[in-house]
Amino acid sequence: MRRTDLFGLGFMAPALILTIMFFLAPVVMTGVYSFTNMSTATGISGGAYLISPATIRSLTEQGFQGDAIERLSSESYVVDEAGLEAAEAAGYTPRFIAEIRSTLLGDTFTGRRDFERALKDLSHRPRSIRDLKKATELFQKSVLNVRFETEADFQSALSSLNLNLSPAEAVFLTETAYTGWIWTSANYDRAVNLPSTYRATANSAIYVTFTLAFNVGFGLFLAITTFYLPSGQAAFFRTIWFLPRILPPVLYVLMWKWLTWDTGFLSTLLSHFGVPPHNLMKHTATHAWVVVVLINGFVGASMGMILFSSAIRSIPQSMLHASEVDGANRWQQVRYIILPQLRWPILFTTAYQTLSLLTSFEYILLSTNGGPGSATNVWALYAFKIALNNYGGNLEYGYGAALAMVLVIIGIIASLFYLRLFNFKSMITSPRIEQ
Amino acid sequence: MNTNFKSWPILLALGLTSVPLVTMYAYMIIDTVTVSPPGSFIPNGISFGSWSFLWEAPAPGRPSIWSVTLNTFIFACVSTLMALSVSLTGGYALSRLHLPFRGFFLGGLIVLHAFPTITLIIAIFLILQMVGLYDTLAGVILVKAALEIPFGVWIMKGFYDTVPWEIEMAGLTDGATRFTVWRKLVLPQVQPGITALGIFAFLSGWSEFILPQVLAPGADAQVLGVYLQSLISDDTSMDFAKFKSVGVFYAIPVILIYILFNKHLMNIYGGGTKG
Amino acid sequence: MRIELKNFKKTFGDITVIEDMSLSLESGEMLALLGPSGCGKSTTLFAICGIHRMTGGQLLFGDRDVTLVPSQQRNVGVVFQNYALYPHMNAYENIAFPLMIRKEDRKTIEKKVSEIAALVHIGELMERKPAQLSGGQQQRVALARALVREPDILLLDEPLANLDAKLRLEMRSEIRRIQQQTGITAILVTHDQVEAMSMCDRIAIMNKGDIVQLSSPQDMYQNPNSEFVASFLGNPPIAFLDGVVTDGGVQLASSEALLPLRGQHGLPSSGMPIRLGIRPEHFQPENPLKVTGRISFVETQGREELYDVTLSNGSVLRSIQRQGGGYHLGDEVSWGIAENQILAFDASGARLHMGALA
Ligand SMILES: Nc1ncnc2c1ncn2[C@@H]1O[C@H](COP(=O)(O)OP(=O)(O)OP(=O)(O)O)[C@@H](O)[C@H]1O
Ligand SMILES: [Mg+2]
Repeated sequence: MRRTDLFGLGFMAPALILTIMFFLAPVVMTGVYSFTNMSTATGISGGAYLISPATIRSLTEQGFQGDAIERLSSESYVVDEAGLEAAEAAGYTPRFIAEIRSTLLGDTFTGRRDFERALKDLSHRPRSIRDLKKATELFQKSVLNVRFETEADFQSALSSLNLNLSPAEAVFLTETAYTGWIWTSANYDRAVNLPSTYRATANSAIYVTFTLAFNVGFGLFLAITTFYLPSGQAAFFRTIWFLPRILPPVLYVLMWKWLTWDTGFLSTLLSHFGVPPHNLMKHTATHAWVVVVLINGFVGASMGMILFSSAIRSIPQSMLHASEVDGANRWQQVRYIILPQLRWPILFTTAYQTLSLLTSFEYILLSTNGGPGSATNVWALYAFKIALNNYGGNLEYGYGAALAMVLVIIGIIASLFYLRLFNFKSMITSPRIEQ
Repeated sequence: MNTNFKSWPILLALGLTSVPLVTMYAYMIIDTVTVSPPGSFIPNGISFGSWSFLWEAPAPGRPSIWSVTLNTFIFACVSTLMALSVSLTGGYALSRLHLPFRGFFLGGLIVLHAFPTITLIIAIFLILQMVGLYDTLAGVILVKAALEIPFGVWIMKGFYDTVPWEIEMAGLTDGATRFTVWRKLVLPQVQPGITALGIFAFLSGWSEFILPQVLAPGADAQVLGVYLQSLISDDTSMDFAKFKSVGVFYAIPVILIYILFNKHLMNIYGGGTKG
Repeated sequence: MRIELKNFKKTFGDITVIEDMSLSLESGEMLALLGPSGCGKSTTLFAICGIHRMTGGQLLFGDRDVTLVPSQQRNVGVVFQNYALYPHMNAYENIAFPLMIRKEDRKTIEKKVSEIAALVHIGELMERKPAQLSGGQQQRVALARALVREPDILLLDEPLANLDAKLRLEMRSEIRRIQQQTGITAILVTHDQVEAMSMCDRIAIMNKGDIVQLSSPQDMYQNPNSEFVASFLGNPPIAFLDGVVTDGGVQLASSEALLPLRGQHGLPSSGMPIRLGIRPEHFQPENPLKVTGRISFVETQGREELYDVTLSNGSVLRSIQRQGGGYHLGDEVSWGIAENQILAFDASGARLHMGALA
């Protein structure tokens, strides 16, 4: 590698590193996570092996025999050589150990109290009750609610229970007891089979179609009307319509809440005409959609307004004057002179906003939060809520990642399409300084 | 603009459609300094009570507005500085320097530029947890800056492309190193780009809600967007005057920037494809 | 400082722009690189100042091999076609920049800048930004910036191309004056032959990446070694007649007319095609070797008048004459060629050296 290349790489390095960390890695990891069952419950690092009452329930549902269930869920204490060795290692006196061996070896107790009582009867027992209780634990043979850090520990504990499981059952038991995340393709199966997925797809389609139509249509309206106004008035209206774009979303949506909530402006105004107050953001699905489209549309229209305005300004004045001299009225001027010039900006706005609307959910999250019910729950919001913002408490990262992956793939395809749109070849001219 | 046509029908149409926004803007201000009788929107008294959040101790469990404002300021400024400096070097490399795989980087830039970053938030959340930057201001700042980079590099590359090569050639023959040429001769030529990108990145950082909400929800790293939203969603009394006062406080820098730089803003929001 | 370029080769990717070029300049000499657009003049210049890497060959400044030395250490001053002034610096800062880079102290910088500013006559403009300067003033600032650190070599890439006709004339002599005053070795890139002839000691004519002839302006004009050089120099340009050598002289193409070049030796053998170049000042009514044609174009150039005369075979000869000859468009005329001034070329365009009759 030449010195000049190194210099260039040095300049590029910060951008490269951040891009790899926060674009490349997340794209890859979204794919990776989508094939796991990661959630709040499994954690994101490894897990342990634990048989909990919930595990027992799902084992019973799987048809494990009563015997095995019993042993898994019961407490039992067996006095055997292994337990005695453990006691020796734990520092209990040899006399105590010898006494246990001679009197209790081979006995089985099904409750902690029984075993404790038996130990208390021994003459060489330790003084403190705490030590005595500790001693019982050394002979415990049950696995319920015990955390095993490795699979080997878990298996050896199981084998001491003599469960007599078939190999398939043994595998199922281990899998059910594992608390960490595992590899699975179940997320995609689930997405295909859940009706809520189809609901989200339909919602996204409604959202993109209506918002886009509003953005382009209203953007055109704003651009054309302000074009015909004196510059002072035009600047005034452009400011009004540009502000939603730069105001913080939380604040902008707050204004809408004030307008539409049951304690807000519209309800109060309408109450003078005998209309009962409603939270229009969540009253019915139709109300919610109208509000969602308007909230996004008022922001989106300003992009069209700016792009279309500059395109209109670049139309030669003489062309407009000529059409007026030819007797065109304003509508004809718009229809035959202005609109044809806007074909490319309209195409661009449509292409760009389709992708950004499909993946954005901030304004919906802040306003209706997908409600009422899931009437306005679009795909992007659906994925976000499942993985990161779920009041139920269990955040399903894996499933959310699978849903997000669909958007990531759409995003990649659309951006590659962009690459074709740009005249890419013309951009790779090589540097003119060669040192 | 045009004397052959009447302008009042247009004024009427624009005026009517602007009524909702104008009402919202007007009451945004009015409600913060007045009180109105219930069921009416005509104020009958002046009151600054809703601004008490500025001097009163915060409710338990809620950070003080000033520490939140400081966080927001740090968040917006540092992420802007990072995004700017990385875009300035990266854009220059892509526009002017020798690089291995140059075509590949350029293609990647265009793809990333159009790519909807918000779809990556789940993976970013998990990555931050794994590297231990979750719930820290530093972590969100890093993410915010990184997500601005494709746009920033793209814009800056555009500005660098317009600087004549001869200026750099002259600098070299005058004895300056390549680095000095960049620093002393080229950077001053892209000053408008630096201003535009800086304003854009600052506004975008100042307004950011989702990233801090998801990646740094704790009270220590809270920013104004998250603060205001939690105020709204926790409050059962629907005290719009209070929300609006916080909102107006939140919007002050945005409005100032709009007034000072509105030409720049129109350009970057229209020219770039930032949604 | 002597400059020597040996076997210079330059390629961009698969495109070879310069195959094998050698050039040497004496110390204190000013050389013009003259040639049509795209022939590789700027490329050669960029190799000499080190902005481009040489693909092959060697470059010597005096005895020092600078082939691999970076631009910064070559001590070459360059004036670019668009001047490349730094827009954010005023004239003073522009000129002082090379000295600042060298970390010279403020006093020295001030002294040197004001000296050089006086030399190029821009002393009163030092506070202005480039945008507030006229083309000619910018050009002087660029020149001052190139000269201020006393470079060993001065390179000028079409420095006059952006100026209007009057300023160009003025700057021509100005640059030459400064070059002679400082005694610096200089290369002037241009595609304006008048500029090259009036300013430089020697001219190197380039075509398609090659130097086709290198000699003094006078010699170049009178003794071009190829048809390309002959057609490149001279304004109004030289006119050509195609023909075939016969016993009696040259038989003009598709015509009965025979130019009886009796006295010339060195004509190729009979039957060979030949091209005769005749400059406008050598086609005059009073000359003896007459050809007949019709005046097809008249252009008044102030003091002189330019006529195009179309011969019966369609060839055109040009004549430049004093005002007042009384000829009009469409007149049939019979004017003469100065026989010993004819430049003859073979089919490949190479010069045929015919002995003059005299
Ligand atoms: N970076 C490059 N890559 C490929 N080809 C190049 C490059 N730079 C120059 N060339 C080619 O090299 C040839 C010579 O270019 P050069 O700029 O030296 O011409 P020039 O003689 O200075 O012309 P002009 O009078 O128009 O300035 C041209 O054909 C040009 O297309
Ligand atoms: Mg050139």
